[in-house]
Amino acid sequence: MAKSWSIFMSNIKKEKLLSVSNILIMTVTFVLLGLLINIVVFSQTALRYLEDQAQVTVFFKDDFGEDKIAVLKDNLAKDKRVSEMVYVSKEDALRIFREINKDEPVLLESVSASILPASLEVRAGNISNLKPLAEELKLLDGVEEVRYFEDVVSRFKFWSTVVYIVGTLLVLIFFVISYSVVIAALRTTINSKGVEFEIMKVVGASDDYVKSPLIHQGVFFGLFSSFIASVIMILLGVGITLANVFPKGLGLGFLPGVFMAPWVFSIILTFILLLSGFLLGYLGSSAAIKKYLNY
Amino acid sequence: MPQIEFINVSKEYDPGKKVLDDVTFKVEPGEFMFVVGPSGAGKSTIIKLLTKEEMPEVGDILFNGESILNILKESVPDLRRKIGVVFQDFRLLDSKTVFDNVAVALEVADSNLDEIRSIVPNVLNMVGLTDKMFKYPRQLSGGEKQKVAIARALAHEPDVILADEPTGMIDPDSVDDVLEVLEKINSLGTTILMATHDQEIVNAMKKRVLRIERGQVISDKKGGKYRG
Repeated sequence: MAKSWSIFMSNIKKEKLLSVSNILIMTVTFVLLGLLINIVVFSQTALRYLEDQAQVTVFFKDDFGEDKIAVLKDNLAKDKRVSEMVYVSKEDALRIFREINKDEPVLLESVSASILPASLEVRAGNISNLKPLAEELKLLDGVEEVRYFEDVVSRFKFWSTVVYIVGTLLVLIFFVISYSVVIAALRTTINSKGVEFEIMKVVGASDDYVKSPLIHQGVFFGLFSSFIASVIMILLGVGITLANVFPKGLGLGFLPGVFMAPWVFSIILTFILLLSGFLLGYLGSSAAIKKYLNY
Repeated sequence: MPQIEFINVSKEYDPGKKVLDDVTFKVEPGEFMFVVGPSGAGKSTIIKLLTKEEMPEVGDILFNGESILNILKESVPDLRRKIGVVFQDFRLLDSKTVFDNVAVALEVADSNLDEIRSIVPNVLNMVGLTDKMFKYPRQLSGGEKQKVAIARALAHEPDVILADEPTGMIDPDSVDDVLEVLEKINSLGTTILMATHDQEIVNAMKKRVLRIERGQVISDKKGGKYRG
């Protein structure tokens, strides 16, 4: 083991430039891999946020009193499709209107609570239930208008799914690229040492003796470059946490309802990248050395 | 018990093209045997079969009474430490000194530094290269390079040395030096099997000669002669 590491270290020292370029190429690959995973998670998280915000707003006619609205609200609360409801009275609507238009006093003077409609904001547990809910609410007595942003949500959902699928495919493709990079990088080393390996084998070296330093080299390249990529991803995670881009945290597409702080996700991503680095280094170097062990 | 025994061995690299065809011979311990024949006759294949770089399609090869064909992959290094090989092109590492080139054979067998420091000077002394120990291959003549290769083959104190055209790439003046070293090693009890097509060497040495042509054994004579 110690001998194998010393051979590996001497290989690295002898081929400084090659080693640096190998590590750079692999670091870029792992950074891209990390960014890609981030993009997939961010888009999924953004969809979750949008789905949470998606709602049907029901505006009531002026003659539809608060007592009737309360009955309607109670009935809707029994509907399993409805996850949350917020009642906005005429006074609340005026307050919101004033807040939004506080810099326009002329406009504020001309508006009173009586001309603004009371409304009920209805949120669905599943975004796909919004449309039938809206259709049903439109037919109720006392309902003036029903609004919901179907197109925005469904379009974002479509693109988010596209990002998810394309992202996953790209992650797989990058794995294959990384694997090829490791093999190509180590093949360069191996080809330059082909005669040495042949001599070693002829004078009685075991496969492990020939293989170990190269496996160590592959694992070192993989771990070192994935470590650099991980540091960049952790910094990105800390930045996103500090900027509070996702106040509830990041959502994972395959775990509905689970959110985690961006820095926690960065640590998980670090493990994924380091494990990928280890596996790619190990498998890549094993594949690259294989042909020299055939005799 | 013969040290090496080929029993009806046939080998083909391409289907239908036999490089060795039903080859049978025995080599006793301590023998010096030439394997002669024109290029492509199958001489190098015999050496590759003995080191298990290649496997025959038919027949069996025994080394010290045991079939080489049954040796497990993980035991091949042990076999190769009992059989030293010398090549026509020396196969030395240009970036290593003479000492380090010989030490490679011991390093791969996990010998410790003390063993290496003791064995390497001994084998270099045996081939007469003590004064060149810290030179690099580029600073040596062809004959000296071949002696380094012989020293490397000797490092494990092998039972047999296989020499594949060892004089093929060295100047005529150095040929005698190399042969002298091989004879000296043989006189100490190591079996030598040397593949060559140099009739002058064969005829001058008056050793056993196994003649191969088109993969078949044509003759096998002690003190034999060879006319290529």
